[in-house]
This record gives sequence, structure tokens and C-alpha cells, in this order.
Amino acid sequence: MPKHYRPAGKKKEGNAAKYITRTKAVNYLQVSLAIFRKLCILKGVFPRQPKKKVEGNHKTYYHMKDIAFLAHDPLIEKFREIKVHRKKVKKAVAKKNRDLADRLLNRPPTYKLDRLVLERYPTFVDALRDLDDCLTMVHLFAALPAIDGERVEVKRIHNCRRLSHEWQAYISRTHSLRKTFISVKGIYYQAEVQGQKITWLTPHALQQVLTDDVDFNVMLSFLEFYETLLGFVNFKLYHSIKVNYPPNLDPRLEALAAELYALCRYMSSGSARMIENLKSEEADENNNAEGVIEEKKDKKSKTSSKTDKSELEINADSIIEEKKDKKSKTSSKADKSELKNNADGVIEEKKDAKIKASSKTDESELRLALLQYQLPTNEPGALMNLIEESTAPDADDDDIKECKSLFKNLKFFLSREVPRESLLFIIPSFGGTVSWEGEGAPFNEVDEDITHQIVDRPTQSHVFLSREYVQPQWIFDCVNARILLPTEGYLVGRVPPPHLSPFVDNDAEGYIPEYAETIKRLQAAARNEVLPLPGIGDEDLDNSLVAAMVDRTESNEAAEKKRKLEMLEKQYHDELKMEIDGVTFSNLSNKKADLSDAKDDTKSDREDDENKQVEKDDGDISTALMSRRQRGLYKAMEIGKERKREKVELLKKRKKNDDSSASAKKRH
Amino acid sequence: MGHSDGEHEHEVDDLSADDSSWSDGVWSEDDDEESVSFEDSGSGSGSDAESDEAAAAAEESDSSEDEVAPRNTVGDVPLEWYKDEEHIGYGIDGRKIKKRDREGRIEAYLRNADDAKNWRKIYDEYNDEEVQITKEEAKIISRLLKGKTPHANVDPYPDYVDWFEYEDKGHPLSSAPEPKRRFVPSKWEQKKVVKLVRAIRNGWIKFDKPKEEPNLYLLWGDETDTADNKRQGLSYIPAPKPNLPGHEESYNPSIEYIPTQEEIDSYQLMYEEDRPKFIPKRFESLRSVPAYEKALREGFDRCLDLYLCPRTRKKRINIDPESLKPKLPSKKDLRPYPKTCYLEFKGHTSPVNSISVEMTGQWLASGSCDGTIRVWEVETGRCVKVWNVGGDVRHIAWNPSPDRPILAAIVGHDLLLINAEVGSEEAQMTAKELLKIGEMAPQDDTDGKKPAVRWMNHDKLDGITLTHQKAVSKVDWHFKGDYFTTVVPSGDTRAVLLHQLTKKHSHHPFRKLPGLPVAATFHPSQKMFFVATKKFVQVYDLQKAQLVKKLESGLREISSISIHPGGDNVIVGSKDGKLCWFDTDLSTRPYKTLKIHSKDITSVTFHRKYPLFASSSEDCSAYVCHGMVYSDLNQNPLIVPLEILRGHSSSDGRGVLDCKFHPKQPWLFTAGADSVIRLYCD
Repeated sequence: MPKHYRPAGKKKEGNAAKYITRTKAVNYLQVSLAIFRKLCILKGVFPRQPKKKVEGNHKTYYHMKDIAFLAHDPLIEKFREIKVHRKKVKKAVAKKNRDLADRLLNRPPTYKLDRLVLERYPTFVDALRDLDDCLTMVHLFAALPAIDGERVEVKRIHNCRRLSHEWQAYISRTHSLRKTFISVKGIYYQAEVQGQKITWLTPHALQQVLTDDVDFNVMLSFLEFYETLLGFVNFKLYHSIKVNYPPNLDPRLEALAAELYALCRYMSSGSARMIENLKSEEADENNNAEGVIEEKKDKKSKTSSKTDKSELEINADSIIEEKKDKKSKTSSKADKSELKNNADGVIEEKKDAKIKASSKTDESELRLALLQYQLPTNEPGALMNLIEESTAPDADDDDIKECKSLFKNLKFFLSREVPRESLLFIIPSFGGTVSWEGEGAPFNEVDEDITHQIVDRPTQSHVFLSREYVQPQWIFDCVNARILLPTEGYLVGRVPPPHLSPFVDNDAEGYIPEYAETIKRLQAAARNEVLPLPGIGDEDLDNSLVAAMVDRTESNEAAEKKRKLEMLEKQYHDELKMEIDGVTFSNLSNKKADLSDAKDDTKSDREDDENKQVEKDDGDISTALMSRRQRGLYKAMEIGKERKREKVELLKKRKKNDDSSASAKKRH
Repeated sequence: MGHSDGEHEHEVDDLSADDSSWSDGVWSEDDDEESVSFEDSGSGSGSDAESDEAAAAAEESDSSEDEVAPRNTVGDVPLEWYKDEEHIGYGIDGRKIKKRDREGRIEAYLRNADDAKNWRKIYDEYNDEEVQITKEEAKIISRLLKGKTPHANVDPYPDYVDWFEYEDKGHPLSSAPEPKRRFVPSKWEQKKVVKLVRAIRNGWIKFDKPKEEPNLYLLWGDETDTADNKRQGLSYIPAPKPNLPGHEESYNPSIEYIPTQEEIDSYQLMYEEDRPKFIPKRFESLRSVPAYEKALREGFDRCLDLYLCPRTRKKRINIDPESLKPKLPSKKDLRPYPKTCYLEFKGHTSPVNSISVEMTGQWLASGSCDGTIRVWEVETGRCVKVWNVGGDVRHIAWNPSPDRPILAAIVGHDLLLINAEVGSEEAQMTAKELLKIGEMAPQDDTDGKKPAVRWMNHDKLDGITLTHQKAVSKVDWHFKGDYFTTVVPSGDTRAVLLHQLTKKHSHHPFRKLPGLPVAATFHPSQKMFFVATKKFVQVYDLQKAQLVKKLESGLREISSISIHPGGDNVIVGSKDGKLCWFDTDLSTRPYKTLKIHSKDITSVTFHRKYPLFASSSEDCSAYVCHGMVYSDLNQNPLIVPLEILRGHSSSDGRGVLDCKFHPKQPWLFTAGADSVIRLYCD
């Protein structure tokens, strides 16, 4: 009798009964593989790893309970209905029954995912915990062009953009952004909502590269769920700060595609009122909005612009939503004469857009161009000075306070060429006031109060002395460091200091980049805690600032800590000195010391070796008693450690090489 | 048809005069035949009044002469039939028509040459006459040849004249009455309408677009009710979050994160899996950063991971690796044990294979590959005696009895028993006595078989030689100093031999062993005997002559064995660098296996007094361990590795070849392949 013989009539047991392969699951559910895939994605069912793979190692196994879970979902019936409906339409079309086909097409079976969202995330915190992928995906699609062949519709992309802006508006409003990082892949943001750290990635605001090795069906299935999820999350979040959702935006700003800015304004006005008196308030709000519209009508007429570029615009308008049409109409009514000066910037932008668009022939490309035209203007701008601080102060913890006040009383102006979307999101979330070059901006470039202008160009021709011209990286670095860094390194035309990831724990990594140390010292100085050591800062960009701060601070540090620090610093110092060979007295003396050290070294080399050997033996000796499994684990850990150390060594080596080559260049 | 010349003339005139008739636009005359047929039909219709007109028209036409029948009446027969006749046929009146006389060629030529109209003449064979074509006819022919209508005035596309007049004709073309169905509602249409009406009434067909409900609402309302907030179904395993970006992913990383060109090139040599996925790059300013080309692909990969990857909960051990190490008692508490090299015994010129310490601890004997046996004074390191035995000394052992200073040494097939000539006079005398073989008589007790061992006097060294049939590898003394054993690995049934010194007698009690024997040794206090084969250790009771225990080492190949002075614990060293500790009271399997050496263990040994044991290995190191055996049976032995002793250098791939403890002091002697003996002391 074979080992696995199961007598007839006896049920399967164990892993054979608990797990089912994918093919069998598809057959069991009587659906196609595509529908099964979609079901799994929507329901969040994933394969499991059985202890024993009964049907072979190369197969995918699902838990039988998961499959039963799918089988009992009404969605599966809905999908069948959709399939039937599609067949009906096809049949009607084939029989030339136009009426029936139209009637059927008008009422396709629909389904909702709200139940699934609640099922997968019974509590709100669960949803927040899983929001990373959702946000990354929505932001990715918000930056994609509509693709006809792949069923990526303009509507969906607009929805993604809306959702992402709503999310950003909330984050910015509640000052819960914590970290930002510009990577090659895009810009990473980390926010903290209800104690959950949520990290997401937005692609750079450029035309995305479309590759054909991607199955959009899968991505769209995910997106479908994510859109719903993010919608509900936004609803809940807006509800929590007592703002209506979905927000009805100032149509003018929306038309200008400055959605985020519009959102922020909406929230600022909406936060004051309670949701209970929703109706009456809404009416008021509408009135207000109208008032605002009238006030700014003159500005609006910028968009009316000139007739020669009208052709493209008309196309654009026809494709873009109705509201936009309305807007352009209204704006065309307004008088043109006043606004010519103001309009220049906008016109330029539009021209750019036009050039882009005109070069493209395809309809989808045109649509893309339109989206892009929308994008740069469409950023979250926020008039933070308009927003009253309505939330109770006791609700804010230290972190929020810190974030809120980082850019307090600073006024920023963004030049045309900087990535506006991200900066309009970041600066207000850290308490700054920001404006941009273009229509709908709260204030323009000539404003006297502007303290910083963000520029990303090789040279700046016209300079206001009252403000500082910095590169966008300064904002990101300040945010990560939570202090205002000195701007010297970030001025126009300079190569900015390295941009470091805020997600890395340098101490755990074992290697601290130079600039991280500089920042650390600055932070410490700002906190008046640690006395930075003078004399190291030759290569520091901000020596003067450190010195100034040192003067102010008193060395109230514990002696031990200080000594430790000093030792480290000295070591570092010596290393540097060895590489920099300017002939100074201190260097000479150092060299002498080094020489004597070297002599000692040769003598003590052997001893050192022996000592090392002894140390190693001490380590080895206790491994002798370990069990084989533990020894394996230990060795694996050692290998991991070794790898990490090698990495650090490599970094140090490169650093050393770079430094030496730099110093060599200096000498020549 | 009278085609006389005159008629032709007339015809010509007629045609020319009839030009006007062509211009009428009615082209009735075409060919002879056609006109004939027309004529026929006309005549066929009889002399009706109606057909008068047509007849008149026909008469008007110039084809009237076509009515003239041909002169010949033979009909449509091949003219060849008349070739040889004088006549060509018959006239209407039935008379023969004679053939015309043939003209002479010359005459015909002349005539033709004179006649300008000759080209228009055609010979009619049927009627046997010459016909002249008129100019008009020639024109027609030339037009036909060109593919045009025969007459130039013909309009090929005249306007169509509809002969039927519709105007003011008040009646339909058909006079059938309208059918009834035109006035009765359609039954089928009604059925269809009824169907639709029913469908509409029952709500199967809806016309107004479905109302859009607000699809967003407060999904997570009151979260205080924890009972509802449990996720249904199986436990949810959240997907691991994507890795957060490090410094190297920055658009402007520090310089040290950017690999040099050589490093990037070297990535090509790596396996594809090992290659770094992301190569850091540096951009001078934010505006120069391009769109990331793999953004979509990475998003897609993440999606695939989320729904295709099996998820399991894995315990990630995030501990300091040092905490894995067992907590060992402090070494200080376990002292004394050998730690540092105190003395080096130099003198041998080849690897020292074996050493042995005399029972009093005063003398050390060593055997080397250079063919010498040396005796050293332990305290001073002075070489007291040297014997040259002329071959590799494989193994050497002192007689454990203090009053018998005898050395047993293995050289090839022989076992030498030598009087070491140390110690008191009396002892030396007894040794001398023992090392004499009286008579050779007891040798031939074996029944015709060759004896396993032959005892012989060795004159040169003044000792005894035990000549084995095959190479001997090990020798070991019984603790009383009378018996000793030798191991002949390839000796089959005579692999392990027992010898008695006083009686000069040998025998081989172990006929059958599980594998090749490697070492054999006596129990330190009882009448037990241990034989180590490659995988097992057999424990025999010598008195009962039976197997007591079989210890399974689980090692690949045992190389050495040592018995704890208590007798219940055995350590075994193997050629894969492992050391097994057997507690024979506990189990036949190893109590502990220590993987300490990276190469073969050459020797293991227990200290007689101190709770120490040591192992030496080819990796040039010797381990000293604390091995405490408690008298309480419930308490397992305590094993603590203490020290790694190094100092020997490798020669020819071999390291430390033997190690022995001093019988009284916590000292360890090691014999190295670098021909040095070292003494390690506390």
C-alpha cells in the first residue's frame, strides 16, 4: 500500500485539503483566469506557502478558505453578469439591433467596492497602514498620459490627480508631512497620519516613459481598488478636520488647474464651519466663492489671451471639462487692456504648451499635452496666510509644532522652472507662504515681503537684494533637517551640497556622510546642546554660522561625552590633515607624530597580529559549542555584517580617493 | 443580282446620288447579308398595308440591287468540286455557266498596269467575274479596318428617345386594387409593441439614466465597537513595504556613493543576479533630472509582487550575533590549563610523528620521520638519548608502570620494545630482564598457520622486535604495564593484537570488526578494551570476551580515541575536524560534538588528573578544553573550550601531529610537522 493511499470515501486531510493550486482554484470558481486575477486583486487574496507542497514545488498555492471566501463574494456573480452583458451587446450589434445595443450600453452592470474596502480594512488605521502602495500608484497614474490602446482613460487620470491633490491638501493642511527626498526615481514623501508613517513616491513632473512590457489590466485592477480606498480615506480625513467632502472648488482655480491651491483655500474656508450646519453654510460658501470670482475676474481674463493661439486652446477646451469652457467664455468677456502686463507669464507658459502640443499629431498625444499643460499650473498652491489655525493647540504635539513653524513668517516665490507641484505642497505644510509665477498666484514676483525665491537656473539676471535666491534642494534639506540651513551652498549657479536621504539611519549603517555630520552639528547648535568643535570646518560651507552659534552656546556638556567626541573628531582631523598637504606648522608637527607612530607601528605590527589572532580565537572558541543550526545562523549574520562593513569600507575608500584627487587639483 | 459592268456603273451613280439618304441618320444598310435579312423580314410580313411603308423604305434604300440573285446557282458547295469542270455552275435557266477563258499572265499584267482602277478590282470566284469596288465602298472598308463605324456621319451615342408618353396619362401601370393589409394594423408589430410595453411596465426596460448616488461616505464611522472591527477569514499578512531609498538613490548623492567607471565595468563580469540593480548617478541641478524610465515598470512589478507572491510570516531574528554564543563559565575559574608556550624541544630534523610522556613526568620520548627516537628531559628540554632505528617512527608509548622504563615504538611492520635506560638502576635492571627472550619454543602453538607476530631479540638496540605481517599503526599499553596492544589496520581478522610482555605472547581475540580498525586502547582501570573503527567504537569486556557496547559516532572517519581516567567518557577525534564526547552511561551516541578544527584531528587526549582534554589538528592548532565529569550521574559533563594553542608552522600541509598531557602537571606537549615539540604551560 502506498504511503499516501487514501481509502475511498475518506476526505483529504492536511495540506492536500487545506491548499489548492491556482489552476484548480480557477476551475473551482468557474471563472476565467483574468477574472480570477481581478477578484484576487480586489479582495486582497494572495497565495500562501504551505508547509508541504503536495502538488509540486513549482505551483502556486492558495488557501482553500481564501478561495471559499472568493466564491462567496457577490462580486463573482457581478463579473459573470458583466460578461453576459457584453455578450448581449455583441449579439445586438451583430443583429444590427441598434436600439437594443444602445439601451444595453446605457445600463451596464456596475459594482461598488466600498464593501470590500471595509472588509479588508475594518478600522481606519488598518487602511492607513496599507496606504503606501495605494498612494504611490495613484500618484504614478496622475502623472501618466491617457493611453487609448490600454484603456487608460482621461477620466481616470483626472480622478487620480484629484485624489492625489486632495490627499496632499490634507497633509499640507494638517502639517503632517515629515520627510521628503528627491531621488532619481521621483520625490519621496513621508507623512505621519494618526501615528502611522506613510511613505509614497511621486514621479518627477515630466512626461513619463511608457514601456510595453507592462500589463495595464493588472495595474488598472489595482488602481480601481486604490481609487476607491483613497476616496474613502480622504473622506474620513476631511471629515476629521470638519471639511466637506468631496470639496467643491473654486471653478476658476480649478480651470486654471491650480487644484491643490483651490483645495487648500477650500479647506481653510471650510474648516471654520461645522458639518452639522452644512446646508446653510454651503449656500454662504457659494456666495463667497462667487464674490471671490468677481473680485478676481480681471485677473482671470489673462486666460482669454490672444486669438492667434486660440486654435489649440479651442481643441483643448473642447476636450477638457465643461467648466473650463465656461471659464474661458467668462474670461473672454473681461477687458483685456489692463492685464497685458500680468498676463505675460501665463502667455509664455501657454505658448510652451502650444509648441509642445502642436508638434504632436496623435489625438492621445494631444491629450497628453493638455494634461501636461494642466500639470505645471495645476499645483497645489496654498495661501497659508489665509488659513486660520482652527485646530485646537492642545491637539498638536511637538512634532507638528515643529513642522508648522519651520517656515513660519517666510514668503517664498517659485520661478517658472522649478517643480512647482511638490514645492507648493511642501512649503505650506511647513508653515510657509508661497506663490508662483503664473495666473492665480496670490502675489507676484515684485512683492517686497518675499524672503526666498526658489530658482533653478544657471544665473539670475535681475536680483532683489531683499530676498535670497536658492535652489529647490534647500527646501527639501531644510525640511529633513528641521532647521533653516544656511543658504550659501544653495545659491543660484552653485552645485548644491549632496542631497541625503532622510530615511537612512546613518549610525546603523556605519557610515556617516560628511554633509550629514555638518547638518548634525548645525542642528545641535540650533538646539544649544552640543558644542561643535572649531577647526574642523575648513571644508564646511557654513563655518561662520557654526562659529556664531558656538559663541552663543556654552559648553555645558558632560566631560566624558565631550572627550569621546573630541577623540573621534581628532581622528577624523588627522586623517584629513594627512591628505591635505599645505605646509603649516601644525601639519609638520602632525607629520612628525605620524612618523613616530609609523615606527611604532612596524614594531608592534606582529604584536597587533597576535593580539588580533587572540581576539579572534576568543570569538571562535565559543562557537565550538554551538549547535550546527545556531552556528549556521551565526555565520550568516557574520557574513551580513562583513558585507555591510565592506560596503562602508568601499565608501570610505572612494571618499578618500576623491578627497586626495581634489586636494591634488588644488595644489596644481 | 446582275453584276454587269453597266450595272456597276449605275450603282456607283446611285450611291453617290444617295449621299443624302446616309445623312438621314438612319443606317439601314450595313452588309449584304444584313440587308438581305432585312429585306427578307420585310417580304416575310407579306403585303400588309402596314408593311407598305417599310417596303417603300427598303425600295428607297440603295440595296435594291441586292435582290438580284447571283448568277451561279450551285449554292454553298466548295468550288473545288468544279475545279476540273468547264463550267462553274448553272444559271437560273439551268444552263451551264462556262468558265471564262484564262487570260495570259502577261496580258493580265499589262492590263492591270494600264488600268489605274486595278486596285479596286476584286475577282469573284463564285460568279467568276471581276468586281470593281466604288470609292465609297473603299472608304467604308478602310474605316472598318480602323475600327470605326462604316459611315462617317453616324452618331454612336444618340440621345435616348423615350417613345412612351407619360404626361396626362391618369392611370397606373397596374390596375390591381390595393390589398387589405395596407389598411389593417400589423399583427406582428402589435405583438412587438405589446412586448415592449410589458417590458417597460415591468421595468425591464428603463429609459432614464441611472441616478448617480454619492459613492463616497463615511465608511469608518464609529470605531469603538471592536467586535465589528475584526477582519473576517484567514489571518491577514500585510505585504512588506517597499524598501526606503538610501543616500545612493538621491539625485545628487555624495561623491562617494557614485561608483567609478572601473567599478561599473566590473559589474559586467558579475553574475546577472549579483549585479547591482541601481547605479547611482549625480545630477548637478534639479532641472537636469530626467523622468525615470523604469517608473511604470517598477510600479507594475510591485503590483505583481502584491498579488502573485506567496506570503508567509517569517520570524526575523534581529539579535546581536554574539548573543547566540553560549554563555561559558569564566576561564579564570577553570584554571589551571596550558596557555602559553614554555619550552621548545628542537633536535628532530623531520616531522615528529608521536610523543609520549613517562609516568613520572620526567622524561619525554618522541619518534620522528627522520628515523630517530629521542628521549628528552622535560624540565630542561635536553635531549638525553637518541636511537636511530632506521625508519619512520609511527607511534611511540612509554610503559605506564614506573618501574619498567620501556619504550614501545612502531617502525614500519615492527614494534620495538626498547630499554629507555632512564630512572633508577633497579628499574633499568628489571627492564633489561623483561627484554630478553629465553627460548623460541612458544611460538609454534599456531596450527600450521603463520603466526601473526614473531617475537625476536633486537641485538643492536638491546630490545625486542615484534614483527607483524603488515604495517602497524598504533600501540597502547595496559595501565599495569604488562599487556599492550597493536593495531594493524589492514590485518583483517588479525587487525588488533594483544601482547603480554612477561610471557612474550601474542594473540588476536577480535576476529570480526565493523570496518577497518583505527585505534585500540585499554580501559584505564577495568578489564575493558576499546577498539575504534572508522565509524564506531566497540567496547569489549576482556574477561567475558564479549562486546559490551557499540558507540556510534556519526563521524566520517575516526582518527584517534582517548578514554577519560574515570572510564565512562570517551572522546573521539575525526578526520573532518570534529570531536565527539561520548558519555557511555548516557547513550551510545555522542553527548556533544564540537566542530572546532578546520582540518583533520590527529590526536585527542585526556589529562590524568585535571579535568582537561586536548585535541591537535593538521590546521596547526591545538585546542585545550575543560571537560569536567561529575560523580553525580544526573549531572552531565561540563565541556568548555578554553584555549587555542598555536605556534606550530605548517609543513607539507601537515600541522600538529600529536599532543600529550603531562601526567601530573597541567602541561601539554605538542609535536609538530615542523619537527619541533612544544610544551605549553599555565
